[in-house]
Amino acid sequence: MDVNQYLEIFIEETKEHLQSMNEHILVLEKEPNNQDTINEIFRAAHSLKGMAGTMGYKKMQTLTHDMENVFMEIRNGNMKASSDLVDVLFKGLDVLEAFLANIQADGTEGDLTCEDIIADLNNILSKGLKTADKDSKAADTSTGKKSRVDADQIPEGKEKDKFRALVIEEHEKKAIAKALSLGLNVVGLTVYIQEYCVLKGARAFMVNRTLDEHGDIIKLFPNAQDLEDEKYDFDYSAFVITKESPEQLANHIMNISEIKEVVADYIKLSEEELNTFLKAIKQDEEILSARKTAMATGKFAGGSAPKQSAKPIANRSVRVDIEKLDGLMNLVSELIIAKNSLVSSSNSLHNQLDPEYFDQIEYLERVTTNLHESVMKVRMVPIESVVNRFPRMIRDLSKKLDKQMQLFMSGEETELDRTLIDEIGDPLMHILRNAADHGLENTDERRKSGKVPVGSIYFNAYQEGNNVVIEVRDDGKGIDVKKIKKKAIQKGVITEEQANRMTDKDIIDILFMPSFSTSEEITDVSGRGVGLDVVKTKIETLGGDIEAKTKLGEGSSFIIRLPLTLAIIQSLMVTIGAEKFALPLGNIQTVENVVSEEIKRVHGKEVLNLRGSVIPIIRLGEILECEKTEELDHVLVVIIKKGDKLAGVVVDDLIGQQEIVIKSIGKYIKNHKIISGATILGNGEVALILDLNSLV
Amino acid sequence: MGEVKSKQYIDVRLGKDLYGIEIEYIDNIIVMQNITRVPKSQPYFLGVINLRGEVVPVMSLRLKLGLEEAEFTSATRIIIVKPDPQAASIGIIVDEVNEVINLKDDDIEHIKYDDKDGKKAFSKGLGKLGSDLVILLDIPELVIETED
Repeated sequence: MDVNQYLEIFIEETKEHLQSMNEHILVLEKEPNNQDTINEIFRAAHSLKGMAGTMGYKKMQTLTHDMENVFMEIRNGNMKASSDLVDVLFKGLDVLEAFLANIQADGTEGDLTCEDIIADLNNILSKGLKTADKDSKAADTSTGKKSRVDADQIPEGKEKDKFRALVIEEHEKKAIAKALSLGLNVVGLTVYIQEYCVLKGARAFMVNRTLDEHGDIIKLFPNAQDLEDEKYDFDYSAFVITKESPEQLANHIMNISEIKEVVADYIKLSEEELNTFLKAIKQDEEILSARKTAMATGKFAGGSAPKQSAKPIANRSVRVDIEKLDGLMNLVSELIIAKNSLVSSSNSLHNQLDPEYFDQIEYLERVTTNLHESVMKVRMVPIESVVNRFPRMIRDLSKKLDKQMQLFMSGEETELDRTLIDEIGDPLMHILRNAADHGLENTDERRKSGKVPVGSIYFNAYQEGNNVVIEVRDDGKGIDVKKIKKKAIQKGVITEEQANRMTDKDIIDILFMPSFSTSEEITDVSGRGVGLDVVKTKIETLGGDIEAKTKLGEGSSFIIRLPLTLAIIQSLMVTIGAEKFALPLGNIQTVENVVSEEIKRVHGKEVLNLRGSVIPIIRLGEILECEKTEELDHVLVVIIKKGDKLAGVVVDDLIGQQEIVIKSIGKYIKNHKIISGATILGNGEVALILDLNSLV
Repeated sequence: MGEVKSKQYIDVRLGKDLYGIEIEYIDNIIVMQNITRVPKSQPYFLGVINLRGEVVPVMSLRLKLGLEEAEFTSATRIIIVKPDPQAASIGIIVDEVNEVINLKDDDIEHIKYDDKDGKKAFSKGLGKLGSDLVILLDIPELVIETED
């Protein structure tokens, strides 16, 4: 079978499974008894193994197989997820990721080896089993919960009656107990499908339909969705409540083609369990009859599976090539330009035209705006896909730096344009590493300064107007302004005299200058001298900005602001002299009509006292070398905001709000950094877009 | 045509001088447009224009070559060129576009210019067109800014 056409899907899905395993192993480390998590890991590992096998990636398959063995033992309660074990598992995941990267690059696994990890895994497996064996037996008898179908038979993956290894959930036991009490049979079976079978999903469906004809399926492993999606090897297990015997059922199934073998047997519960569950059923029935609703049936599992309902069953989505979306976005841009020119020509013909015409124009405007929004939304992805690797990173850093730390994340669902998502990962990672390495103190230092020994890093993302704000905050030692000052003078970045005049904020901004690193020692985590300046440059090329705030001894925070989208923005069109400029609406707070005398000169700079706060005034005309216009008694001041800094920009006149398409002015022409691009107006003229952020 | 290789050029006029631009670089020739000034750009860049929805920078060939500025007339044209097929477009303003000319290798005199006076000639050689001489422009050299 030619598998190349599936390579893309394989890579995508493997990424998802690896991410899911990463996340769940992290949870497992904290809550070793979380059955849902273990099941989830197991499921991911199992699918991964199956997929790697199908694609012919032997090394991946072997490694996941051995990891799966470990998960199996954890799931069956024979082993505990110790910190050492988690380390090895993470190492395994890293190797799998390396395989995947190689596959992505040239379609082969490359010559990485994973023998040592496999050896480690097997080591832990054999050691863990010996020590845990006694524990688990003790635990089994004392609690009686989480018992397996057959506690003495630990599946090695070789027995054919794999269904015996399945963990029966409480609610399933209840169903079994009920069926038994009604004199029905409960049959467990494992179906083996021929390995040459092409449509495994369809085969499984046929088997299940046959089972449904002869009874009720109460459990499937893997679940029905996975079976349908072919996320299983060549066998799967089921529990069926039926009137027939295991042999009869097996015969029915063997009549379906491409079935290799069926192993089936009765499922029994112990006398004791049977009684407890029958009692529980009676209680349920009483409650049910009291309520006279059948609604609650599924919910009486007693909290044993609280998360199940929360999981999405299947994603109704389509994967689309980003280039196609770019194409669509370009078309929408063209449409908006065409619409703008229609609007401007209709305005000039105001008197001659039918009012009906204007209704249609307005309608067209609404539709194009909505169309643009929809296309933009399609391009938006939650930042989750970037940030979900951070918990794992912090855990690794914690071990590597030997500092205790925890990461709190919120706002992962905040959405950003796809092109931004791809670019923002590295800068964010850098800032987090900085926080972990330079920001947080080690445990001893924290104790000395009376803080909780575990350092915290907070990652928060949210939308603010047309921007997305990402904050990374730590409760570490903060940035020592004096130290930076000293170092900056020493490095010749600033002179002593300059330093004395600078505010603390100015000094902190030095951190973002090229080749400035304050860490005394260079570690391999961060601090190689290239750092925050690279982050700043990157974020600025994305049209965003970054600022740092700090309080000595209490911690620091880095705040990144990014535009929601890159292609089309709402803007305020203004004129300066005879020229038109577009100011992005996202930065604008208000527009004030100010009496000229209110603008005062302080230290040679113009300022305005605006309702109690003194803000600097910027004459755009001077910066842009526009023709001078005569001074009037009143001037229009556009108040712009960046973070908590305000500034006033003087313009000659306002034209109005307009949706504009951002175009690059190309690399041939040099320009002032305040010009972030150009746009085409309705009448075909080109107007420049001003980046107000660079002014504040 | 015979066996001697020949190339096509567009013959343009600046003042009294004739210049040749190799036809393979030329994308389009348009009449004068509204130009939006770009502050703080190189002085020879007059600004940007809208070319069928794309924003294209335009330079004055006169200013680039260190000649005097001249009034735009109805004969003034913007020649849209691409230094290579993948590159972005750029406009070059000339006084007038004359005709398409064929120049054989024999008609071209390759002259090495040295940039003694600080001004670059951006030329590949001189073409002989009857009694006239045509200065053949080196478009990539002309368009792509080298660090001074």
